[in-house]
Amino acid sequence: MANHPTTVGAQEHTYDAIVIGSGISGGWAAKELCEAGLRTLVLERGRDVKHLADYPTALKTLWDFPHRGKLPQTVVSENPIAKKCYAFDATTEHFFVKDKEHPYVQEKPYDWIRGYQVGGKSLIWARQTQRWSKFDFEGAVRDGIADWPIGYDDLAPWYSHVEKFAGISGNYDGLETLPDGEFLPAWEMNDVEKHAQGKIMTAFAGRHVIQGRCAHLTVPKPEHYAAGRGQCQARNLCYRGCPFGAYFSSNSSTLPAAARTGKLTLRPHSVVESILHDEATGKARGVRVVDAQTKQATEFFARVIFVNAASLNTNLILLNSKSKRFPAGLGNDSGLLGKYVAFHNYRGSISASMDGFADSYYSGRRPTQLMMPNFRNVRKQEAALDFQRGYMVFFGASRSGWQQGNGAKGVGAEFKARITRPGPWGISMMMQGETVPRKENHVRLSAEAKDAWGVPQLVTAIGYHDNDEKVLKDFHARGEEMLVAAGAKNIRKNDSKQNPGLDIHEMGGVRMGKDPQASLLNRWNQLHACANVFVTDGASMASTGTQNPSLTFMALAARAAHYAVAELKKGNL
Amino acid sequence: MRAAQEGAMNRREAIRHSARWAGVAALWASLPARTWAALALPAGWSEDEEQLLTLIGDTIIPATAESPGAGAVGIGRFMIVQATACFPAGAAEVLRRGLKEIQAVSATQFGQGFAEMSVAQREQVLTDYEARVAPTKGSALGSGSNVNPFRLMKELTLLGYFTSKPGATQALRYLPVPGGYKGSVKLGPGERSWAL
Repeated sequence: MANHPTTVGAQEHTYDAIVIGSGISGGWAAKELCEAGLRTLVLERGRDVKHLADYPTALKTLWDFPHRGKLPQTVVSENPIAKKCYAFDATTEHFFVKDKEHPYVQEKPYDWIRGYQVGGKSLIWARQTQRWSKFDFEGAVRDGIADWPIGYDDLAPWYSHVEKFAGISGNYDGLETLPDGEFLPAWEMNDVEKHAQGKIMTAFAGRHVIQGRCAHLTVPKPEHYAAGRGQCQARNLCYRGCPFGAYFSSNSSTLPAAARTGKLTLRPHSVVESILHDEATGKARGVRVVDAQTKQATEFFARVIFVNAASLNTNLILLNSKSKRFPAGLGNDSGLLGKYVAFHNYRGSISASMDGFADSYYSGRRPTQLMMPNFRNVRKQEAALDFQRGYMVFFGASRSGWQQGNGAKGVGAEFKARITRPGPWGISMMMQGETVPRKENHVRLSAEAKDAWGVPQLVTAIGYHDNDEKVLKDFHARGEEMLVAAGAKNIRKNDSKQNPGLDIHEMGGVRMGKDPQASLLNRWNQLHACANVFVTDGASMASTGTQNPSLTFMALAARAAHYAVAELKKGNL
Repeated sequence: MRAAQEGAMNRREAIRHSARWAGVAALWASLPARTWAALALPAGWSEDEEQLLTLIGDTIIPATAESPGAGAVGIGRFMIVQATACFPAGAAEVLRRGLKEIQAVSATQFGQGFAEMSVAQREQVLTDYEARVAPTKGSALGSGSNVNPFRLMKELTLLGYFTSKPGATQALRYLPVPGGYKGSVKLGPGERSWAL
C-alpha cells in the first residue's frame, strides 16, 4: 500500500460526520445527518451508480441479451460464489462483486454475496420488509441468546419514520407477532393462494397466512412523486435497478434526499482501511481511506462516524482499526468483536402441485409473496419442541408457463399449442429460520492474506448447528401438513444444503447489549468504548429474528442518527 | 457490424442456392437480423450442422397460424452458441451426437437425410428418437456427460424461441410493463401464457 496519508489540507478533509458505506443503512444515516444540517461525507468503496443513468439493462428485453439473460460459462466458472445467488445473471451481474477481485478466507464454507457500488446491495435486495415484534426482542433475551438493550417500543416510531419515506406495501393484519406499519395498499393474492390461506387458517389456529410486505410504491403518496419516484409497474425486473424508482434503494431514495440538503459529499472508490482513534480525546478522529483506483491513502476527519459497510465489512474495518488503546480492534474491550455472527437458515423449501383452478389466472408480475409470521416458541419455549427459536414461512402459487415443455414429450403444432397455454398450478413454501448467535461463529482478520488495497482479508468461520437441522425438520413437517390441508398433491420437501451466507442476511459481530463486557454497542448503536462511533447496519444485531432484516437496519440507523445529532448539540460527542 | 451483416447476406445467398435447403432458405430469408446476426457461429461448427439444428428446432416448434416457428428465430445458431457459451464443457458435443443419431434414425426409418424428408416424417423421427433415448433426470441444463441429446435440443429450442421477440410476443403474451398485478383473471379458452 502506498502510505502517504494526506496531512496537508486537513481542513478540506474535515466534515461534521462521516458515513462508511452507501447501502441501505448508510443511505439512511446520510439522509438523517444531512437533513439535520451536518456536512456529511459518505465513503463508498465501489463505483458510483446514479439512479436511472447507471441502470444499463433496466429497459432491455430478454432478446436484447445474446444469451437471453444467462451468463456465459466463463463468467460462471470465475465466480463460484456469486453464481450461487439467484439474482446473479447477465441482466444484473454489474451490481455484484466478482469473486476473484475480492478474495476472503473460508475457514468454513461461507458464500459471501456482495455489492460494491454506490447503493450497495440496496439495488439488488429482495425488498421484503417486516417489523420485528416485541416477541423477537423479548424471546431472544428470555432464551439467553442475546441481551437486547432495546425493545419493540423503542423502535416502533422509527419503523414508522422509515416506512413512510421508503414506501412499504402491506395489509393491516392486526397481528401481535408481526406488527402493522405505515402501509401503502397491499398486493393481491391469486385464487389458489386465497384458497390455501383459507384452508390453512381454518385447520391451524395461530398460523396466519398474510400477504407479504415489501418496499414497493403500489400507490405512491405525493411526497414520493415529489421525490421523483413513481408507481410500481409489476415488471419484477427489480435487480436491474428500477426506471420508475418504485422500489426503495439508496440510489432512488435516501441519497437523493441527502443530496438535496446541499450537505452531502459522496466519495466513491474509497476503501476505508481503518478508523483513527485519538488517545487524547478518547474518540475517533477520522478514517483512513485507500483510493480504490490509485491506491493512494488519504485521511478524512469528522466529529461523528457511522459505520455502515454491511455486516461483515463493518466487522473487518473495526477489527483493522487497531491502536494503542484498542490493540484488538476499535471498541473491542469485551474481546467479542467479530463474534456471535448469525444469519438466516434458508435451507428448507417445499413444492407441490394443486389440482383444479383451470380457468383461473393472473396478470402482472408481483414482486412479493405470501408469508406466515413465526408461530414456534413465540410466547414461551414450547416444551414439546426440541429446538430454540423459530422461522417464518413464505408461500406462493403460480401456473407453469412454457417451461412445462422441458422434459415433456412431444413435437410439432400440438406440442406447441399445449405448452403455450398455462400449465397446472404449483404451490411452494420456503423457510426463513432464525439462527442462534454463537461465539464460535465468527470473523477475524487473516494474519497473512491481504486484498489489492493492502487491507487484511476476512476469515469467515460461520457454520450451521444442530439446532438449525431441527428447525429445518420442523419446517418440513409443519409445511407438509399445511400443504396437505390446503389440498396440494405431489408434495416434495427439499434441503438446499446451502452454505451460510447465501441467505445474504449476515448479522452480528458488533452486537448491541446492556453489558459492555458482553457486547460492543449500547442502546443507541454507539460503541461502549468510543462514543462518537456508531454501527447501525446488520453488524449491530444481537439476534436475527425471523424477519427480513433491512427494515430494522433502516430504523436503527435513523434512530441512532437522530441521537447522534442531539448528542452533538449537547456537546457530548 | 457491417462485416457481420455481409456475412449474414453471404450465408443467406449460399442457402438460397441450395435447392436441398429450400425450406430452410425460406425461413432464413424472413429472419430478423437482430436475433442472430450478432452471434458468430462458434468454431468447429459447419453451416450444414447449424441448418440441421434449425430444422430440428423448427420441427419441435413449427410455424402455426398465429406465430412463426423456431426456425424463424435462427434457432440452430442459438442452440450452438448457447450450448457452447453457457453450458458446461461437453454440451456442444452432446448436440453433435444428437445430430448424428437423428441422421442415423432418419436413414434407417426413411432412407433419407432429415432435411430431405417431409414434415410428418421429421416429426416421426424426432418422436421415435425422443422415445428411444434414455430419459434424463432433472434439467438438461448443467448436467454432465450423461445428457440426453434430444432433451438438450428441446430445452435450447424452447429457451431460444420463447425468449425471442416472435416467441414471446406472438406465441405467448408479453407485457413489458404490466402496470400492476391482478390476482384473479378468468382464463378464456385457448388463451396463452404470459411470456415472463
